Amino acid sequence: MSEPQRTPFVDSLLEAAAQTSLPGSTIGWLDAARRENLEAFAAAGLPDTRMEAWKYTALRALGQRRFAPGDAQAAMRDVDASAFALPGIDGPALVFVNGVFRADLSRTEALPAGLSLLPLSQALQGDAEPLRFALSRHYREGGDVFARLNAALAGDGVVLRVAAGAKIAEPVHLLMIGAPAEDALAWHVRHVIELGEGAELSLIEHHASGGDQQHLGTQVADVVLREGAKLRHVTLQDIAASSTLVRHNQLQLDARAQASLYVLELGGALVRHDLHATLVGDESRLDTHGVFVLNGRQHVDTQMAIRHQGLNTASHSVWRGVADQRSRGVFRGAIVVAQGADGSDASLSSKNLLLSGQAEIDTKPELEIYADEVKAAHGATVGQLDERSLFYLRSRGIPLTEARAMLTAAFCRAVFESLPDERLREHLNHQLMAHLPSA
Amino acid sequence: MTRSHPATAFDDTKTIMTTETTDRSDTSATLRDNAEVAAALGRRYEAGFVTDIETDSLPPGLSEDIIRQLSALKQEPEWMTEWRLQAYRHWLTMPTPDWAKLSLSPIDYQAISYYAAPKQGPKSLDEVDPKLLETYEKLGVPLHERAKLAGVAVDAVFDSVSVGTTFRKELAEAGVIFCSMSEAIREHGELVKQYLGSVVPTGDNYFAALNSAVFSDGSFVFIPKGVRCPMELSTYFRINAINTGQFERTLIVAEEGAYVSYLEGCTAPMRDENQLHAAVVELVALEKAQIKYSTVQNWYPGDENGVGGIYNFVTKRGDCRGDDSKISWTQVETGSAITWKYPSCVLRGDRSVGEFYSVALTHHRQQADTGTKMIHIGKGTKSKIVSKGISAGRSNNSYRGLVKVEKGAEGARNYTQCDSLLIGKKCGAHTFPYMEVKNPTAIVEHEATTSKISDDQLFYCRSRGIGEEDAVSMIVDGFCKQVFRELPMEFAVEAKKLLEVSLEGAVG
Repeated sequence: MSEPQRTPFVDSLLEAAAQTSLPGSTIGWLDAARRENLEAFAAAGLPDTRMEAWKYTALRALGQRRFAPGDAQAAMRDVDASAFALPGIDGPALVFVNGVFRADLSRTEALPAGLSLLPLSQALQGDAEPLRFALSRHYREGGDVFARLNAALAGDGVVLRVAAGAKIAEPVHLLMIGAPAEDALAWHVRHVIELGEGAELSLIEHHASGGDQQHLGTQVADVVLREGAKLRHVTLQDIAASSTLVRHNQLQLDARAQASLYVLELGGALVRHDLHATLVGDESRLDTHGVFVLNGRQHVDTQMAIRHQGLNTASHSVWRGVADQRSRGVFRGAIVVAQGADGSDASLSSKNLLLSGQAEIDTKPELEIYADEVKAAHGATVGQLDERSLFYLRSRGIPLTEARAMLTAAFCRAVFESLPDERLREHLNHQLMAHLPSA
Repeated sequence: MTRSHPATAFDDTKTIMTTETTDRSDTSATLRDNAEVAAALGRRYEAGFVTDIETDSLPPGLSEDIIRQLSALKQEPEWMTEWRLQAYRHWLTMPTPDWAKLSLSPIDYQAISYYAAPKQGPKSLDEVDPKLLETYEKLGVPLHERAKLAGVAVDAVFDSVSVGTTFRKELAEAGVIFCSMSEAIREHGELVKQYLGSVVPTGDNYFAALNSAVFSDGSFVFIPKGVRCPMELSTYFRINAINTGQFERTLIVAEEGAYVSYLEGCTAPMRDENQLHAAVVELVALEKAQIKYSTVQNWYPGDENGVGGIYNFVTKRGDCRGDDSKISWTQVETGSAITWKYPSCVLRGDRSVGEFYSVALTHHRQQADTGTKMIHIGKGTKSKIVSKGISAGRSNNSYRGLVKVEKGAEGARNYTQCDSLLIGKKCGAHTFPYMEVKNPTAIVEHEATTSKISDDQLFYCRSRGIGEEDAVSMIVDGFCKQVFRELPMEFAVEAKKLLEVSLEGAVG
């Protein structure tokens, strides 16, 4: 292995760590965990493309950049949160600007019974012990460099708990806004989410842009679903065109828990999303649906790994990608069926449209199977719009650009069809359409 | 001198080999009493006998001196010695690859002897040591008969030296050169110089570099312009001596419009130490040429506890250099403790075609990480991949493939199908397909499934009076049919039989 290089990137973040005092720094175990993760980050530096997890995403350019430590002015930034309101979503909301919690923009009054929703910075002032398991985690995998960084530097985020049996009707809106600042900033949020036995929740993770900036945002989320819990998790990522966002989401499903994930990736210059789900309990079930639509020089890399551990578990994944202009879309969808995970039923489909000679799609569906009572299948395609369909539309007087947009939209929108919230579904589809090339 | 087994050794099951500590014959005797048990538990490795002939080996170890000695022993020209040394120097700088899904203990390259040749230098088939010929008989390759009956010209490689090449005359009349690599280096130096290392450069990867430095022998095939090779060419490889790695190097060149079908079969005797086999195969297809390369690989897989067996680390690559050329790989892999092999096609010429058909079976503690690479460079290039993996026992079987469409590959087309079949609860079947597409007119498709032999299928067969093992082998045969169809007839029969033997004891 080559010696890790001390890049300007690593240097600037280490300086940031030395300057900032994070909430909860008086808690011994938390401080120790942060320090260890920081040391690991400093020791390993940024991975290069020889590392399998980063094979298609080069971080050389990022390594040469410097980021200012978190935003001291975040509380004063003039941000209009209402601009990011989603139709029909007016329940509890937590808003973060450049990684800092903004009570003035959030809605936390009159929370429904059974829902506890706090910013991490506040939660750490109380009894931090329940957070110990999640927050003292060490990220040992070589590729988890941003998770390490986040674990070392995150001072805020969401602590969300749903009590056993509580069914929360109104969706919870988590809004992370990147706002323009004097320098390019690095900000970090850390979410800890737990649904108790039989609890139900609908969650919207929303990454938005408050104006043009070149920030680096990192997010680590731990989501645990206890026995029989149900989660619907919608992610809308529409950050500023020149900013960078790295998300590392971990999901654990206990017996009979169910999760449906919907992910729409639209913005950002460099976006990386690691999604690790483990079906721990028997009869747990996970559905993932995702779309990325890229143009310009965007680079979006999704790395999904689903691990079946319990008996009779199921996972179904449908992902669509569109890459136009000079963009690059990367998708890895790994399904692991552990030894003894009999009755697993797993499927994954990754279909991609490559619309330009300068764009690139790299897709890698994987199966790793260690049990024999399984049904596992995956399919992946990379292709272009069907010439005959285009011809059909054009012969009916629809201009080429419009015909292309229509077909591309049709290619993507099937993914969100199973989303029950109609207004939200329409909003996602609308956003998607607006982002489509030549629409 | 090689260690020899009692003549009956190859009839014994592999269980016998596991329990061996120091005295092999004793254990054999005890266990032969329990033949029934053994027969039920293990599976036979029919080619597991050792031919007791004297061998002339270089001392174990690897250094520039050894390479010079090896080169001198083979009476190679200066440029070849230099080529080897360059590869060796490069190899020294390379790290051992660790990306494959394999677990293996580090290989001690200094403990391997890089050259072993039978002592009596054979001049023609008739002079070949009868014991050697007997070996081939046991393997089912009686040189004379097989050649005559099947019309196959056989270049048999025994350890490191090619002992006999049949049908040379008939081939020569057609203008085809089919000889051992050592002979080719001596007699067709210019051709070898032109093409050797042009598909798999000496520094391509760790094992290719090692092979380039120490390759002992192999086959050289040259089909001149417009010639359709009058018969199927075949090589049988066999690792015999203890502690010798076999590093063969095969080069096949098909000039404009030429056609050749090449068959390769491999077996090795039972040993309880691991033996290394690091081969390189290079194919070059010029304009409108076609090369069909079929392999049945049945190296000794080790016993059911993973003791012994061949480490099969092979680099195979075909270069469709000319327009409208075609290279087709077909492989049936049932042997080796570890297989690390990705027969690939570089589709450089416009409208060139690459195909890969594979059946890989692993049992006991075998590990296979195998697949293919299809690199689309030319316009209108097409590739097709059909891979069938069967895992049983405690084995791990991975498909790893890359389909890459470069910017200029207008209208490139790929279709990939990977199916895995699991037999038993402790085995693993994995699929790692990489797809990298840079051209918007390309269509790349990949499909993969994993399943086990369904109880319904088994029940159906059994209710019709078919025994469980027969039923399994019928179902497996059906699973593999798409690939077997691509094999030349004699090979297809052999492959089917191999699967049956390999799966013995896998169910129940």
